[in-house]
Amino acid sequence: MLAKYVARRFLASLIVVLGVTAITLALMKTTSGSYVPGIDLNPALRPEDIARLRTQLGLDEPPQVWYATWLWNVIHGDFGRSMIDGSRVTDHIFERLPNTLELTATAIVIGVLVAVPLGVIGALRRGSKADHGLTVVSVAGFAVPQFWMGLMLILIFSVTLEQHGLPWLPSSGAFSAFQGGDLLDRVQHLILPATVLSFFYTSTWSRFIRSSMLEVLSQDYIRTARAKGMSERRVVYLHGLRNALIPLITLIGLELPGLVSGGLVVEVVFGWPGIGKLAFERALQYDYTTVMGVTFFATLLVIAGNLLADLLYGVLDPRIRYG
Amino acid sequence: MTQPLLEVSDLHTVFSTKEGMVKAVDGVSFELHAGETLGIVGESGCGKSVTALSIMRLQRPGRIVGGKVMFKGQDLTRVSEYEMREVRGKEIAMIFQDPMTSLNPVYRVGWQVGEPTRLHGGWDAKKALSSAVTMLARVGIPSAAARAKDYPHQFSGGMRQRAMIAMGLTTTPEVLIADEPTTALDVTIQAQILDLLRDVNREFGTATILITHNLGVVAGMCQRLIVMYAGKIVEAGPTTDVFANPKHPYTWSLLRSIPRLDAERHEPLKPIEGLPPNLVDLPAGCSFHPRCVFKVDRCSRDTPALLQVGDTQRSACWVTQSGTELKGA
Repeated sequence: MLAKYVARRFLASLIVVLGVTAITLALMKTTSGSYVPGIDLNPALRPEDIARLRTQLGLDEPPQVWYATWLWNVIHGDFGRSMIDGSRVTDHIFERLPNTLELTATAIVIGVLVAVPLGVIGALRRGSKADHGLTVVSVAGFAVPQFWMGLMLILIFSVTLEQHGLPWLPSSGAFSAFQGGDLLDRVQHLILPATVLSFFYTSTWSRFIRSSMLEVLSQDYIRTARAKGMSERRVVYLHGLRNALIPLITLIGLELPGLVSGGLVVEVVFGWPGIGKLAFERALQYDYTTVMGVTFFATLLVIAGNLLADLLYGVLDPRIRYG
Repeated sequence: MTQPLLEVSDLHTVFSTKEGMVKAVDGVSFELHAGETLGIVGESGCGKSVTALSIMRLQRPGRIVGGKVMFKGQDLTRVSEYEMREVRGKEIAMIFQDPMTSLNPVYRVGWQVGEPTRLHGGWDAKKALSSAVTMLARVGIPSAAARAKDYPHQFSGGMRQRAMIAMGLTTTPEVLIADEPTTALDVTIQAQILDLLRDVNREFGTATILITHNLGVVAGMCQRLIVMYAGKIVEAGPTTDVFANPKHPYTWSLLRSIPRLDAERHEPLKPIEGLPPNLVDLPAGCSFHPRCVFKVDRCSRDTPALLQVGDTQRSACWVTQSGTELKGA
């Protein structure tokens, strides 16, 4: 039953993949600008060379034909080569994807680990100074743009600390180019971007947990639990929290597109060599094949993430049935 | 008479609201003896549930501001939270009105029913589960061992209430407080649950406080009866005497508002005129006087105390305390 459900969900998601990639191509085609700058304007190329290249890259074909060709190749496992550097699109993606997953997975884990206790504290001490303080911090989390917060952290923890001769944190990249790449080095590079990204998650989710917990704590079964004579801690964490977490799963599921795209701003600010930054740069350069490839994989990840959230839902809530 | 098992005296519980202080329980006193079934009757909002919750000290956000709840030589309003936890679910168990929402939806029924024995008896999961299965079978859940593995949403309303009763009984408490245990159930299921409560009372000797707005439920279940109105007890006495000869106009009106199979001729039902009072702004004197058909001048000035009227009953009413019988109208 469950296997059938998963299979059906994947079949349904094919339509989503088709839609997303088609729309992406349409959007890129409708933006004006010289397709692949450098070809048309390169004085070193003769007009017939340019025409030959354009034909090779399929730039003169109608978009629907280009799309059909691309799709046909994808079905056969060929995502083509980048129009900019000629390397395989899949190589690009598999080189960048682990970095993105490292950053966003860290941010989501930190987000959950911080948001859940903060939300519970807010709910248990509703109206207290601690609760109001958390509200202020959360609003800041929504309101402060990620690029600004990123720049401020770079200014404080990279620039100012270094100027004062103190230990400082790297501001760019996923690891040091020279003699770097060990665990400590990677963690140091991860701290600032993960902080910015998880701050946003924490702000949203802690508010959510708070209201969810408040609702759960007013339920009849919580009164039943208290009437059994257990400690308040057991009431809150054993009988309350599991119920309060169920709606959070949906929210995290909705946040999973962020595994790929949500970190884009952070990746650009911190020069993080992730898939979001790749898509951003290549979109500016009209590198159709790379953007289409990234979009395809991003869509797959989002669909898988949502499916995972739905399955996790069933683990936490026995009332959910798949079929 | 023997020492009462539970003795509530002059209990006051208040709630702070935007409109002002609500005296949900306003000087309630009663006794519960071992093995008996006591009914507490009244309309919604009369304070009967808050009285029960106050005994368990689960009245939050309300506050107990006066009185005593004596149980086994200690005053439950004064013991520490830790000591109170040892009473809850172990010596006094409580079951609630809505079985659909009173069980935790994410845990298996057997696990929940066995939880009190794990908490209070220190039993391991296996032993607790087998006792839960035994108790579920005892309260009439068919194939209990299999059903214990179910989640609450797989149970019907009647079965959930049976499970709640089983949960209360696993620790063989001395007192069972049932707060409107049948209100949310179908009439046929109501009868089954009441039968079960009666069996439990007989078999385990558990003293039961049955809280209900339904006089019919009290009639078949309780030896003694307390009638509450606006946070106060207005009448108390043996059920048969109160039904035959009510000594408070509120009880009298209530009895005339329900259909009776044993009536000599079928009279039209007479609803009580007016609405229950606003607890923030109670009328002066007797709270019931604006709706009372027997009222005299004094009723709107002085509050009557609960005094002996007749041989077995007590009533808080100036009219009956002066010897007048409630008749006609």
